[in-house]
Amino acid sequence: MKTLMQRIGAFWIGALLGAMAAPATTLERMPLEKLTSRADAVVHVRCLSNESRWERGEIWTFTQFEVEEALKGVAPRLLTVRLLGGKVGHLISTVDAVPRFRPAEESILFLERTPDGAFTVLSWAQGTFRIRRDEHTRRAVVTQDSAGLAVFDPARQQFRTEGVRNLPLASFKQRIARVVMELQRKGQQ
Amino acid sequence: MRRRGSSSRNAALLAALLFLWQTAGPALVFGYVLTYTVGDLRLLPGQSGGTACPHLNRFSTTTAGVIDRRWSTSLPVTILTANQSPSARLDEIEAALQESYSAWTGVAGTTLAAPALAPLNRTGTQQACQFNDGLNSICLNQSDLLFSGGVLAFARVVTSDIIGEQPFPNNPPSSFIGEILDADILLKPGDSSITFATPAALGSNPSAFDLESIVTHELGHVWGFSHSAVWGAMMFPFAPPRGQFLGERPTAQLPDAPLSEDDRTGLRVLYPDPADTLHIGSIEGRILPANPLSLAGLAGVSGMFGAHVVVVDDATGAVVAAALAGWSCSGAGPPQFDGSYKVERLPVGPDRRYRVFVEPLDGPVVAGNIATTTESLCRNQGTDPGWPLPQACTVPEVNSNFTTRVRP
Repeated sequence: MKTLMQRIGAFWIGALLGAMAAPATTLERMPLEKLTSRADAVVHVRCLSNESRWERGEIWTFTQFEVEEALKGVAPRLLTVRLLGGKVGHLISTVDAVPRFRPAEESILFLERTPDGAFTVLSWAQGTFRIRRDEHTRRAVVTQDSAGLAVFDPARQQFRTEGVRNLPLASFKQRIARVVMELQRKGQQ
Repeated sequence: MRRRGSSSRNAALLAALLFLWQTAGPALVFGYVLTYTVGDLRLLPGQSGGTACPHLNRFSTTTAGVIDRRWSTSLPVTILTANQSPSARLDEIEAALQESYSAWTGVAGTTLAAPALAPLNRTGTQQACQFNDGLNSICLNQSDLLFSGGVLAFARVVTSDIIGEQPFPNNPPSSFIGEILDADILLKPGDSSITFATPAALGSNPSAFDLESIVTHELGHVWGFSHSAVWGAMMFPFAPPRGQFLGERPTAQLPDAPLSEDDRTGLRVLYPDPADTLHIGSIEGRILPANPLSLAGLAGVSGMFGAHVVVVDDATGAVVAAALAGWSCSGAGPPQFDGSYKVERLPVGPDRRYRVFVEPLDGPVVAGNIATTTESLCRNQGTDPGWPLPQACTVPEVNSNFTTRVRP
């Protein structure tokens, strides 16, 4: 009989093996290559502020970011991202898997232009990659929103993960750069 | 609860010491991956609820037919049915929607039973899923301005942080904090690469998504669920591949067959039936670092926050419930990030034995599909100017840099 720790530890093995061949109820599964291809811009940003307000009969949250680096496409130094949901007065509109950001938080966002020219996050949680810096070493790692929670697989009695999780920031940027170069080589960008 | 485990070589792979034990625990501990609202304490208690403890988001089920339902018969070509005649097509889609509702109302031990739902009406309105109508609608053909690339479907749920809010004149005012006032489901229309098929049509359209699975999942959000991290749960954020459906198809005898036990347990927590005598068990405890200094510098944090706690039936191996753990709340609040977890509404009996699995979150606390849940636990002067300081809190960041070990 395995101990609990053995079972918990075994999830790391599952993490290495695990790649879900599943699209999503809310989100269509998009590997990094597809996200990069579909995004109008990929940017390393720092959140400055949030504001929720009514627009066209919906509550939207407008988050202003300072762009530190554009990894794909062209982005202004300050950009505003519009996402569905938020709080205005005493009403709260909630849409699961829509990302929210805190001021000063760093992230890499895959952005798409909406038909009216605004920016939104492509595929919501899948297009959001949070950056965390170790407070001592300042080493930065990246975790995709849709990969933040370890998944429990009842059949194997193990936790497992998928997506981008705790990947060094530099490595992640290199991956994106390689995909962008490959897309350019194929003439898709 | 059956305790097991000791330190092992695997401990070297992880990073803090984890204690797991049963305890009387604080007065109020929540689990599951549900959504919450904190009342606006800047107002009088009659409006604010008088506590900074988060309230579950859910419908009122106190009166028969209190939850209205309708669906828009405006259809895109991307909805596939076996029968192509206009009226039979509508009937086939409606049958799938009805089965999706029945999956949830078929769960024993909840008050979200069929009598709480009004009849499922049809509307010919093309843009029927409006924020401001107070009607719970399903739209298969609404404007895609609300969608982002790769988003197939979503549920938009409207709640209020005060008692007495009446945004929709035809509906009564909110009677508790977190009451769901309007909830709409939208499926992505107009994208030829994304099609949805009814159960009858799925077999002959293997590249389509199963309409019933997707609507059943979105209905979970409508009832107050966030996403589950249990593989195979209806509220798992990823659906079966195209051409496949999740779980089992419902039958007249087992209308809730598509759901997992995790889904059923969560529903019992959201809408508990006081007459239920079977699902009355609970497991609770705290997850703490062995070295308290590892939490130094984290204001208001006295335990591990952000762990995925999974309860497994020892006999069957089935996941009975899962919780997002690490906090508790009592009295006037606010939440304490003390590592608490509580998994409720477990079936009890002489042969019932459970095992508990724990895995810390990995990454920033606001990450992932639980962002809405975690961010809704706290309010403070930064989020709400004038917020009373004693009831203020900030959701801590997860520190996943620890090694785990289990005692005893």
